[in-house]
Amino acid sequence: MSLAWSFYIATVLVYLGVDVMACWGLNLQYGYTGILNFSFIIYQSAGAYTAAVLTLGPNTAGSFQQYIGGANLPFPLPVIAGGIAGGLLSAVVGAIALRRLRSDYQAMVFLVISLIATAVVTDDVGLFNGPAGLSLIPQPMSTVLNLSLVGYRWFYVGLTAVICLIVYAFVWRITSAPLGRSFRAVRDHEQAAAALGKNVTGLRMTSFIAGGVIAGISGAVLVEFISAWSPGGWLYQETFVLFTALIVGGTANNAGAALGALLVPVAFLEGSRFLPQFGPPGLIDALQWVAVGLVTLVFLWFRPRGLLPERRRIIQVPGLQQARTGLPRPFDYEKTAETR
Amino acid sequence: MFLHAIGFGIVTAAVLALAAVGFTVQFGVTNILNLAYGDVMTASAFVAYASDSAGLNPWWGMVIGGLFGAVFSVLLNRFLYTPFIRRGARLFTMIIVTIAVALILQNCLQAIWGPDFYSANISAGATVRVLGMVFTTTQLILIAIAAVTLAALHGLLRYTRLGKAMRATASDPALARNCGVQTRRVIDGAWLLSGLLCGLAGVALVTELGSFEFTTGSEFLVPVIAAAVLGGVGYPYGAMLGALVIGLATELAATYFNPTYKDVVAFLVLIVVLLLRPQGIFADVATQKEVAA
Repeated sequence: MSLAWSFYIATVLVYLGVDVMACWGLNLQYGYTGILNFSFIIYQSAGAYTAAVLTLGPNTAGSFQQYIGGANLPFPLPVIAGGIAGGLLSAVVGAIALRRLRSDYQAMVFLVISLIATAVVTDDVGLFNGPAGLSLIPQPMSTVLNLSLVGYRWFYVGLTAVICLIVYAFVWRITSAPLGRSFRAVRDHEQAAAALGKNVTGLRMTSFIAGGVIAGISGAVLVEFISAWSPGGWLYQETFVLFTALIVGGTANNAGAALGALLVPVAFLEGSRFLPQFGPPGLIDALQWVAVGLVTLVFLWFRPRGLLPERRRIIQVPGLQQARTGLPRPFDYEKTAETR
Repeated sequence: MFLHAIGFGIVTAAVLALAAVGFTVQFGVTNILNLAYGDVMTASAFVAYASDSAGLNPWWGMVIGGLFGAVFSVLLNRFLYTPFIRRGARLFTMIIVTIAVALILQNCLQAIWGPDFYSANISAGATVRVLGMVFTTTQLILIAIAAVTLAALHGLLRYTRLGKAMRATASDPALARNCGVQTRRVIDGAWLLSGLLCGLAGVALVTELGSFEFTTGSEFLVPVIAAAVLGGVGYPYGAMLGALVIGLATELAATYFNPTYKDVVAFLVLIVVLLLRPQGIFADVATQKEVAA
């Protein structure tokens, strides 16, 4: 394997790890709890900016870039701080959007928040260096390890894998626990969950913040690797790619989310790199987005539950079968059509 | 300075009212949150631009843009949204469908027209002073177009059978159907009407801005949503008032603070409304409804 290929594959693997983490985070919110979080990318971005400024060190006057709150923390701390930043931002946004709003209003608010966040960070140059973004962020432990360029990339692949495992343990802990069941109850039948004494808003907040923390960590891992972050990289469309990944892979299924991350952001978008370039600049990007939109529509039409659908959970309680037969099956909101 | 800002605010409000009323009618009658609305606006503006470039009078371009918006919206509903709903897609899935359409539409526009800015074909015209406010003739015509269109809409909703049927469908589709309203046709009518407003608003927006690109409409979606939510989604009169409030607030903020924060002001108004009165100023209740096709 040539050096260039080794370098490229390592890079793609890190991207894959980041996208898998992000998909797990969004899956927790959208797949399990039914929150249409169209602003997911801003929590990833909050994590990335936090990790970046905490690695860059204090901002000196006359530097080519300006930012707030610089510090020089050793490696795991910026990533942890990134997760905290994602969680805090989610808490603030969730406190506004997740209250008594209808789910379509929530979707509307999340989309607007994503647009506004991009506008503010772009216009307010003092915050995170405006449209140019932050760059030359030192890579963690690169000076200590003294590895070759490619060697360091593979080291970072390992690092990403470890963080992925930690995130997976966290996600698995939630989704396989009664908490995950409560999330699904809120998603499938909000009123029923509330009637059974579940705090619907509280559960939504929990899921939302947990997803936000994961988003922040994924952003931090990515920014420490690519050493740069700017508003052009986190437009609202990027959230849509993750939604597409979940729809293709399978919502409310962590394996499905990981598969979706492999297929959509990594295989589909990276794959187009190997196509011959044609047309004016920007044309291929535009067509790529058109293709992402079409893939979503095709999957929603032909396979709305994705390649690896959610596991059907049937609870057998003796004597309860009689009572159950008259009721619609729990996860049937896609199929029941009471309006016609 | 203050009066200048008010003048700008009225112009912005006129354009915003066209867009927000269209948005609110669409959402109110069909309950589909059509996030592709802004991109249909941009597409209409590009169609109008193309017809101008072909040698037509730019004001005819506005008519053509409006008609394009109307026809495109009806077709979008007929051949994409309705089939999805028939197949059992609910609120949730429909929002994702509309955002997919927004993405496809926006990037098709980019693929066709490229990432460049285009300048609108209607020149600003002479300046006119009205009550201390300065307008250009084009701006005055835009305000007049918005006023006439919205007055016509008022007449339609209030006094015609279609308008009554539309309001009935908006408040309860099942009941309206049981009372003999042909909801399918009414819903087509709603998409036609809201699409017309959407197209007109798109052309009016680029005329007011002077230049536009493939993201212009989707960027305008923030104040449109803010105005529609402020007035209570589904309430055309509320949307008109919401547009006036948002238009004035954003232009005043642009004059006294920073022009780049226009959308932030619209957003803050939206947040305050959602926190204090999520059902809007006018609406009594925000009902939990399902999508209608």
